[in-house]
Amino acid sequence: MPGVRRELRTIAIDARLAADARLTLGDRLVLSAQPGDAGDTVRVAAITKPSADPSEVSRQEYRVRLHLDQLQSLTSYGDRVHRFAVQSRGGASQDRAVAAIDAAAFGFVAHRSKDVAVETSATFAVVSRFHRAIGVITIVASAIFLLCILLLKVDERRRDVAALRLSGISRATIVKSIVIEASVITLLGTLFGIALGWVATVIVNSHYQGVYRTPLRFALVTPQTIVFALVLSIVLGIVAGALAALRLARAHPLALLGRR
Amino acid sequence: MIGRLVVASLAGHRARTLLAVAGVAVSAALLLDMVMLSSGMRESFRSLLTSRGFDLRVAPKGTLPFDTEATIADATATIAALRESPDVVAVAPVLGGTIHLPQRGGAAISSVALGVDPATQGDYVLLTGHEPADGEIVANDALLAASRHHVGDTLTIAGGYDPQLRRFDSSRRVRISGRVRFVYLARDQRAAAMPLAAMQALGGPARRDRVSLMMIRARAGADAEGVRQWIARRLPKVTAISTATAIAQVEERLSYFRQLAFILGSVSLVVGVLLVGTLVTVSVNERIGEFAVLRAIGIARRTITAQIMIEGAVLMLAGALLGLALGLVTARYLNAILASFPGLPQSIDFFLFQPRAAWTALGLLAIAGITAGAWPAWRGASLPIARVLREEAA
Repeated sequence: MPGVRRELRTIAIDARLAADARLTLGDRLVLSAQPGDAGDTVRVAAITKPSADPSEVSRQEYRVRLHLDQLQSLTSYGDRVHRFAVQSRGGASQDRAVAAIDAAAFGFVAHRSKDVAVETSATFAVVSRFHRAIGVITIVASAIFLLCILLLKVDERRRDVAALRLSGISRATIVKSIVIEASVITLLGTLFGIALGWVATVIVNSHYQGVYRTPLRFALVTPQTIVFALVLSIVLGIVAGALAALRLARAHPLALLGRR
Repeated sequence: MIGRLVVASLAGHRARTLLAVAGVAVSAALLLDMVMLSSGMRESFRSLLTSRGFDLRVAPKGTLPFDTEATIADATATIAALRESPDVVAVAPVLGGTIHLPQRGGAAISSVALGVDPATQGDYVLLTGHEPADGEIVANDALLAASRHHVGDTLTIAGGYDPQLRRFDSSRRVRISGRVRFVYLARDQRAAAMPLAAMQALGGPARRDRVSLMMIRARAGADAEGVRQWIARRLPKVTAISTATAIAQVEERLSYFRQLAFILGSVSLVVGVLLVGTLVTVSVNERIGEFAVLRAIGIARRTITAQIMIEGAVLMLAGALLGLALGLVTARYLNAILASFPGLPQSIDFFLFQPRAAWTALGLLAIAGITAGAWPAWRGASLPIARVLREEAA
């Protein structure tokens, strides 16, 4: 109608698109479903922060949010939607809602959010299994390394052990002292390793958050991780120390001094 | 003599020798796995893209092939324009979509469907039967198993399905002319292919004369980048992607694995070197008396240094060889884990054994380990003989 200025529809774009296309609030854009189509002119009304969603990490696509009716019109999709998000009161009411929708709405299937999450996170389940396998290999390598180092460390003390044995100190006392020493060394090493791991997570998060432009945290040092590392290292340290100490304690003191 | 001394020394500390070899073997295995991971995806993807002889992919402007639902309009004119280039030998158009196979009770089996030109297509390998003619489709094992059909059967397919009304649109009867393996699809992904015109007709007016992608085979010796630039100038509504660009984009998406491989590979290299360096250092400290005696009876300093370094070399080489076998086994296991990525083409391998890269990595580990033992070996052989003998006798 002449003289009447039509109000532009508004859209929200994600921060990556805003940065890459140098768009700011209030800018006008033309949106079309296919390259080269006439499309609709719209105004940028909001710039959204990227969400910490793992499924979006490797996808470099931009996100534009439109009013539903405008997207339906733009894509000639008619009065259709891909899905409805339904909020329930939780607990048993969720099960009742799922059953009611499935029974009442012919052609609809209701899915619980947690089931959808399991389905859509299949990729991350694979990555998680891969990490676990790599973790096992690393633990085996660390265990052998630790055993080797402690064996050498205890072997270095053969003269001291021989002197202690010759001065009447019992085998059990020597084994205990070596095991305690091994545990202390392992504990100190683990604490240093945890600090190193924490620094590594800061670097990893900072790097990958920059690469993928996401607030997602890629590496975490959790209390469970710390407890696991401490327990595993100390157990390995005690076992390795005990094996090395028993080996030394069983030998004759003169043999340890190289006199037999 | 050196050989006998080396054997005697290593055999004299059996537990230590075995642990050292095991430690180096695990480090070498991890290093080998990470080398295989760092180059495996790239080479595997390159091999996948070039396996059918196409050099370029043409997709709707600003998109990657099948990354969005966008399609290229005026496909006939676009194909004709592409064929104007003297460097373009073949153009294989592809229209992607979904078909539905009606089942009893109103349910349906859904499947990926590709509309192709059977004469030039590069999406599948025909296993049995023949290329689809008008009124025919070819299907992969996953679809045949799900629908319980065989080559030669006739079935109904539909281009659209309304689950609310359980109504199928654009239904037609087709015959299965062949069994195929789709090159770019996952093993368990149900898929069928049919002539392009049939697929366009199934999609209704919205898909008339449209394609999702065109694969281009360039003349032998032609510069693919030159062809890409020619397409960019001639057809501004499409994006041409060369194999190199596609590989670079996939690498960017999967850069995490490459970086993980680099970090873990470096760590395993350092661990292996540290292990042998520490062993040689401690071994030298323990045996300074022995070396002093050898020097006193006239054995040359370089002979003692060589003996210590050979001990380190034996540990590294034995560990590296054991690590090679262990690495191949673990790589197979890790590859099986990553192969279960949803939607991953079945021919993609994350871990690919390339002899040159593997031997370079293991050789680097061995040389680094041997070098790490050089300084303690030289120090052990250079101690003042008289003082060491006096201290040892005390």
